Amino acid sequence: MKRYKLIPTLLAGVMAAGLLAGCGTKEETTPADSEPKKEQIVNVYTARNYEVDGVLYKQFTDETGIKVNVVEGKAEELIERMKREGQSSSADLFVTVDGGVLNNAKEAGVLQKVESKVIDEQVPAHLRDTDNQWIGLSTRARVIVYSKDRVKPEQLSTYEDLATDKWKGKVLVRSSTSLYNQSLVASLIELNGEQKTEEWAKGITANLARNPEGGDRDQAKAIAAGVGDVAIMNTYYFGAMLNSKDQEEVKAAQQLGVFFPNQDTNGTHVNISGMGLTKHSKNKENAVKLIEFMTSEKSQTTITQANYEFPVNAKADRPELLKTWGDFKAQKVDFAKLGTYNKQALLMMTKVGWK
Amino acid sequence: MKSTIRRRINSLTNGWLIVSLVGATVLLLPVFAILFSVFSAPSENWQHIKEYLLADTIGQTLLLVTLTGLFATLIGVGLAWLVAAYQFPGKRFFRWALVLPLAVPPYIAAYTYSTMLSYTGIVQTTLRNLGVTVTPGLIDLLSMRGAVFIFTMFLFPYVYLITRSFLERQSGSYLENARLLGRKPLAIFFRVVLPISRPAIIGGVSLVVFEVISDYGVTSYFGINTFSTAIFQTWFGMYDLSAAVRLAAWLMVGLIGFFLIERLLRRQQRYSTSTGKLNPLVPKRLRGWRSVLAVLFCSGVFLIAFLIPVVQLVQWAMWSFQDVWHAEFLQLATNTVLVALMATAVIMVFAVIVANVIRMQRNGFSFTLSKLVTAGYSIPGAILAIGVLSLFIWLDRVLAPVYAQFGMVEAPLVLSLSLVMLVFAYVVRFMATGYNAVESGFEKSGTKYTEASRMLGHGLTSTFLKVDLPLIKGAVLSGAILTFVEIIKELPLVLLLRPFNFETLATKTYQYASDERIVEAAVPALCIILASSLSVAVFHQIGKRVER
Repeated sequence: MKRYKLIPTLLAGVMAAGLLAGCGTKEETTPADSEPKKEQIVNVYTARNYEVDGVLYKQFTDETGIKVNVVEGKAEELIERMKREGQSSSADLFVTVDGGVLNNAKEAGVLQKVESKVIDEQVPAHLRDTDNQWIGLSTRARVIVYSKDRVKPEQLSTYEDLATDKWKGKVLVRSSTSLYNQSLVASLIELNGEQKTEEWAKGITANLARNPEGGDRDQAKAIAAGVGDVAIMNTYYFGAMLNSKDQEEVKAAQQLGVFFPNQDTNGTHVNISGMGLTKHSKNKENAVKLIEFMTSEKSQTTITQANYEFPVNAKADRPELLKTWGDFKAQKVDFAKLGTYNKQALLMMTKVGWK
Repeated sequence: MKSTIRRRINSLTNGWLIVSLVGATVLLLPVFAILFSVFSAPSENWQHIKEYLLADTIGQTLLLVTLTGLFATLIGVGLAWLVAAYQFPGKRFFRWALVLPLAVPPYIAAYTYSTMLSYTGIVQTTLRNLGVTVTPGLIDLLSMRGAVFIFTMFLFPYVYLITRSFLERQSGSYLENARLLGRKPLAIFFRVVLPISRPAIIGGVSLVVFEVISDYGVTSYFGINTFSTAIFQTWFGMYDLSAAVRLAAWLMVGLIGFFLIERLLRRQQRYSTSTGKLNPLVPKRLRGWRSVLAVLFCSGVFLIAFLIPVVQLVQWAMWSFQDVWHAEFLQLATNTVLVALMATAVIMVFAVIVANVIRMQRNGFSFTLSKLVTAGYSIPGAILAIGVLSLFIWLDRVLAPVYAQFGMVEAPLVLSLSLVMLVFAYVVRFMATGYNAVESGFEKSGTKYTEASRMLGHGLTSTFLKVDLPLIKGAVLSGAILTFVEIIKELPLVLLLRPFNFETLATKTYQYASDERIVEAAVPALCIILASSLSVAVFHQIGKRVER
């Protein structure tokens, strides 16, 4: 009879061990709410997966003694997690790389207003949410990259132009599942209206040199390989390619030029990455301190040097590459609109067959 | 009659059944939560999804699954048969090395191969230096072609491993009879090997199919519309989680239906041996060109599916090592292995219990239960993660008074911030890997020994420990390897369900790969491959001892 209980007991044992191990980790890494005075912390849910962010968090801890706890993930999943955790949520800051998603977080009700003079001084108003529920951390431009051999910059003008017959079979862009493309289309819906944008998306799809595949870097390489002549891609990927450890990638990037489109019209599409204070933050002061730190001149210089993103703090020192590109006129679209039109943009793209 | 029923009830109402039912119920909670969405009213986006996405999605998913399943079966069973039935140079090495491709996460393989074959990759660069220009797109891993290639080469070991262990133990008499009757090897393969190893093949292929269907990394990178990419497009692009979950639910219903049909089709056939004697296969020595061919086939597959991508990753790792390598990597590796061990242990113990109860019952109910328990595998990780998350947050709310006793105030999240949640999610998701292996082990050992033992007065548990377990040891072991390696590679669950600052090798790799930095991702990716390969090697050593 004794043997009867062996397996269930074993199972219970394993489960209990798991539970204990789990709790053990919890005590080590996640300070519970019951002991807030022991250690100063700030908990970050981030969808910005860059090495440089970790470096800055470490500097912040060294300077202030406030420990930064991090969970990385995909933005939409993290928002869903905060929604489900509700007021028990342990997140203090939410960080992500798209204006539309920042706005989505705001509308999902997981953020709250940040009040800080330091931040207001460091980050210009148009790079912050209208209610200060999120603060810009960096911006990135979605530009046209072209083959220096086959395309003269004079031939390029606007995003709209890429949809004309002139570029038939020469355009490269990644798939409609890319948030960067969705935001670009959303911005065009805001500027040109729905009908014109749909025609544009149809035109781009018709002009594609190949079915959308791969990431932004793959589009650049496809130009080098002669698959197409122009590609829509984010500037910082281009910067990263020029400074890659892979010499072949550097060589490929050197064959390409960067063109900031729509300079005579609405300006180049820009997106923002930013951070917001969560609604149920339990370490509010520390969280605000971290935002102040991340948008400071010094941190902003670090971010742009490491990642080739554009700083939000005007005092930051840009790397040489960004300086050579010079100043450019950016779209004046409210970042919140990128979220508003995101779904419409995706529906439109799937409808016209933009894979 | 009455006594039969009573005896039946008695024989089943015991710790085994209770543990199975309670455990299954717990496992099924998140699965049911997802299935129920089928009955809720569809949201407005559903119409658009049906109109523009669904047909293409179903078509491409079916094409991808069929092609991958086909090639994985041919390569997997072919190799299994070769290794089990023949003796040729290097066989001892290939026997376990051919499992190694499983150690490479498919999305890493996809990035690696497409970079290698890209304009800046080693192949085209070398050709350019030799003065050969490649037509653009010619050797590109174009969408469907590339995905089938990647999934086949890096998932076929599921079929290989399960089929090989089946053939090595079970097929002796069949194959020898076929040989005695003068059948040619090719005829034996198609007329004997394929049919008799059907349960094992189906066990392996279903793992491949599940894996392909729930994959997001490879398909989204190659731009293929599968169910999984459609689900994420719906969630992330349309901000419509409920429609996304609905898609996942239909996917699950479809898969369970598929396996029900498959089961019905082979209802009449039984696969356990008819003689009482287990007749292990004695390998035949290959000579001349046949042995050369065998070596070429094995080493070709091994090169493409393991050595080439790994060597490429090593080269990249050398470029980026200085920037990427930190002391924390040891911690990452420990985290990864510990959490995987925990989950694997729970899965294997539970899989054995449930499979044992289910085979004793042998009816429609138990079969459905077995499919439900393993349904977690068909749900894309991120969707399952949301189900598990909700369950644990609810549990934490219920347990709040208990936490208060320990002095924790304002409804803290305890379980949902601990590793328990992650381990639980792993168990739900990877139950299938462990269970399928155990089930095919039971299927081939049959119930004769069990019945004899019961008749001689031994209880269920005593029979299990003395008779059944020794018979299925091999299957349990291969199930454990598969599960462990799966968990080490897994990404979506660990990404969303881990506690603060809990990094694994997979999350570290994701950090770079998601930013298209494959050169930097090489170091953590190699660590995953190394950890998985070591575990395969260790299990292989234990396996040899078990078999003796």
